[in-house]
Amino acid sequence: MKTYLSLIAIDLKLAARQRTVIFFNYLFPLIVFFIFSLVFGARQNPAQMTYVLTMSVSLGVLGNGLFGAGIRTLQERELNILRRYKVTPITPVPILVASMVTGWCIFMPYILIVISLAHFIYHMPWPARFGSLFAFISIALIAFRAIGLVIASVANTMQEGAILVQLCYFPMMFLSGATLPAIFFPHLLQVFANFIPATYLVFGMYGIMLDHKGFTDNWRSVLALVITAAVGLTVGTKLFRWEKEERIRGSAKLWIVGVLLPFVLMGVYQAVTGHNVITPGIFRR
Amino acid sequence: MSADAIIAVQELRKSYDKLEAVKGVDFQVGAGEVFGILGPNGAGKTTTVEILEGLRPRTSGDARVLGYDPERQKQQLKDRIGVCLQATNLPPKIRAQEALDLFGSFYSRNISSEKLLKRLQLWEKRNAFYETLSGGQKQRLALALALVNDPQLLFLDEPTTGLDPQIRLEIHGLIEELKAEKRTVVLTTHYIEEAERLCDRVAIMDEGRIVAMGTPRELQQKSREQSRIEIVCAQALNAGQLPQWPDAMQTSVDGDGRSLVVYSKRPARTLFEIMKWMDQQGIQLDDVHLKKPTLEDVFVELTGKRLRD
Repeated sequence: MKTYLSLIAIDLKLAARQRTVIFFNYLFPLIVFFIFSLVFGARQNPAQMTYVLTMSVSLGVLGNGLFGAGIRTLQERELNILRRYKVTPITPVPILVASMVTGWCIFMPYILIVISLAHFIYHMPWPARFGSLFAFISIALIAFRAIGLVIASVANTMQEGAILVQLCYFPMMFLSGATLPAIFFPHLLQVFANFIPATYLVFGMYGIMLDHKGFTDNWRSVLALVITAAVGLTVGTKLFRWEKEERIRGSAKLWIVGVLLPFVLMGVYQAVTGHNVITPGIFRR
Repeated sequence: MSADAIIAVQELRKSYDKLEAVKGVDFQVGAGEVFGILGPNGAGKTTTVEILEGLRPRTSGDARVLGYDPERQKQQLKDRIGVCLQATNLPPKIRAQEALDLFGSFYSRNISSEKLLKRLQLWEKRNAFYETLSGGQKQRLALALALVNDPQLLFLDEPTTGLDPQIRLEIHGLIEELKAEKRTVVLTTHYIEEAERLCDRVAIMDEGRIVAMGTPRELQQKSREQSRIEIVCAQALNAGQLPQWPDAMQTSVDGDGRSLVVYSKRPARTLFEIMKWMDQQGIQLDDVHLKKPTLEDVFVELTGKRLRD
């Protein structure tokens, strides 16, 4: 426990000392929040604020998970920082757990800030299911950080990792409904969106914010994200590499597909049953 | 293997695909001994040491460190040893004291960071970020990290490489303190003077094999035992007219004809005869040096290479 607490404490201190962490976890999502508020006319129509809030939070979760966890682990490996940890008696587990907890501690204040801004500036009502929202975002954050850690584990170089992160980040950002409402997508893209993890984040949040669904009512999204977090952490631990010289086989990159498997299955399920996570009703309000 | 050996290695081998980096190495290190592994880059010293630290699996052979198998009992072993790696780093924004407190928390026992910072003359820098420390301060912090669990066995992998002479001397002083505290130290280096000054025994490695092992004095005696006499004269000598001095094995005149180099097994007698001859010939002496064989000479004799090749 001493090891875990020390790692979490130092990770938090180091994060607070880095301007990029502050920028990508607070300033950038806040800029997005205010721009979307303007574009959606949230001041005139407070109901629009729910969409704006969801988009802003979703972008924050994606950035925190993929860039925060993934790129940072890669940097530490490239700079031979993880090599120093390797000579001590610790395993990868406390390092990964500390990364999860730190990411959560850094991001959660943003949720409170943005909801407060939405309420006090744009007169959005307080979320009816605050506990469910908080729990859902926490699980989503862990799931996306786990995806980031798997990417860091399978990428051999910083350059390779940056490409893989962006290959995940941009499709998730544009096709999940985090930036453009998915209901306006052609049918084929809507089906494709069912296979993207971020879609479950965005629509899970819509369910809680708009339909006042509880945590359990959102079980499909919750289940997909929980499985992703569990598989991601397991794979991240299994493939964890301390040194840049330790190369990984090309076939190991298929683990990314393994982590995304819950979404592939959910996508297939929804395509077959016709039960689409992108429910038009949400947008008709 | 000796029962009281802190480290015992038998027929140790390590291959990376088709490259055999360590080719059947045997040695033992006793308690309180400073054991040097000397060799050029690529000799296999770091690979050997990293196997013993539990960082790499071996391909074959046997290794015991503090009674543990470094491959199968690596967590227990890592808890008991201190390691100063050749190429490592810390997060740029971590403070010196924070780093020691953090790494100390990983071990079942630890020394207070304050005590270590004072010992390593880093107390003034305790709140400095790692990125602002000089090369010497970073290396001292690396040594402090190696001592954070108060280990009885330390592995120091090229601890002075790339440091200026003053810092190297400071680190040598610290290693001598560790020796005085009866800690066992395994030191890899390619600095001859470091091995000669600090090590009780030295293994010379080349191309994955130990080519010689013993105390620095024993190794020096294994050379052809020829001392080198260097004499600089005020005027040029005629190489063809030099006499055969007693016990001189090889004689040559270098450069502008003023530098005379003579190898001898009995340098005192040979030097006396040379001085006598120069006096008879009326040749003025500008400078004279007598060099005993060094580990470098031994290494060159054994491998045909220089240590820093």
